[in-house]
Amino acid sequence: MKQKIQAKDLINVGIFTAIMFVVTMAVAMLGYIPIFIPLLSVLVPVIGGIPFMLFLTKVKKFGLVTIMAVLIGIVIALMGMGVWVIFTAPLFGVLADLILKSGSYSSVKKSIFGYGIFSMWVIGNFIPIVITRGNYYDMLISGYGQEYADTLMGYIPDWSLLPLLAASFISGLLGALLGRSLLKKHFIRAGIA
Amino acid sequence: MLDPRTKMLLVVTSASVLIGGGSGGAMNVIKPVLTAVPLLLFLCSGKWKAAVIYTTVYTFAFAGEIFLVPVTTGFVNFIVIACCGMFARFMPGIAMGSYLVNTTTVSEFMAAMERMKLPQKLSIPLSVMFRFFPTVTQEYGAIGDAMRMRGIRFGGGKPAKMLEYRMVPLMVSCVKIGEELSAAALTRGLGAPIGRTNICKIGFKGYDAAAMLICAVSVIALLLEKVT
Repeated sequence: MKQKIQAKDLINVGIFTAIMFVVTMAVAMLGYIPIFIPLLSVLVPVIGGIPFMLFLTKVKKFGLVTIMAVLIGIVIALMGMGVWVIFTAPLFGVLADLILKSGSYSSVKKSIFGYGIFSMWVIGNFIPIVITRGNYYDMLISGYGQEYADTLMGYIPDWSLLPLLAASFISGLLGALLGRSLLKKHFIRAGIA
Repeated sequence: MLDPRTKMLLVVTSASVLIGGGSGGAMNVIKPVLTAVPLLLFLCSGKWKAAVIYTTVYTFAFAGEIFLVPVTTGFVNFIVIACCGMFARFMPGIAMGSYLVNTTTVSEFMAAMERMKLPQKLSIPLSVMFRFFPTVTQEYGAIGDAMRMRGIRFGGGKPAKMLEYRMVPLMVSCVKIGEELSAAALTRGLGAPIGRTNICKIGFKGYDAAAMLICAVSVIALLLEKVT
């Protein structure tokens, strides 16, 4: 097993990150409706599991998952969806990478668990709602009006970071399982995995 | 005409200031200015269609926010706020982003990242992604059309199957395109151990200075607002 990361691997990372993004963006549009915002921590990991599992079949080296996480952080910040993801995504990315490495990138169980960890990057999007709560609340009132702000805050109380983290982890596992089953059903048979 | 680095800075600034900033005070000036920037850029680069779409959508969203929000209540009010408020805030950022993607070639992008001394491990995936976004979106739309034609849509009987029927073809075609892309890029020496030369001339000019001034002022205003 060669350890050095080559251009081909880097290109793969770029391609799969783009797929992940387009797919999750299509889902994230639901976030326009306030009650769906907490739900995103469930939906994004579940959908993202499909491309991620396919991505893992191409990954056999340490560092690629981390690079993907860094890219997600950069693009999310570029789109103005919060700077926290720049920190959370690489953190969970490295953790996931270490887990995958311990299974030498072929263990199914480790890859499902790894994606669960990886999915927790989503929490970065919720940090401002909790940590700088007063600030965020004022911003919502000035921008969207009292009613909207109260409703959103009602759905996301400040203790909700942990449940959201757990939710993203669990739905990450579900997404990974979904990805695995699709992988078996289609991609391996089609010879692209 | 703008340097890719300036464009990126504009995307970040307009997204973070317009979405994160409150209202009142200096923001009353800064927000309209930032909103106008993408329009100006579209016009300058002859993207008439994009300019018209941007103006129309933004005007509708803005008008909705001003006229519809005060007169509606309850659930309708919610939907109006969600649609108009979000659109009015996100549109300029999205428009800037699409300007960045549509007016920068991949080699310009690579050149800019080389100047920023970004390691290859980040610059290669980033530029591939950059090149790949439009492709994936296109494929996604085409597959959506094909599936609708066969009756696979919301309310088409098999909503649960939708995910599978859309994701699987998308992945297959994207992986295929990706393989060809990487073969092409490798042939052209991407990832070769020596430094690559680049034909694109990028550099900061007068326009860039103006754009950066706008960015600096808006970011400072945003920070001041957060502190006080």
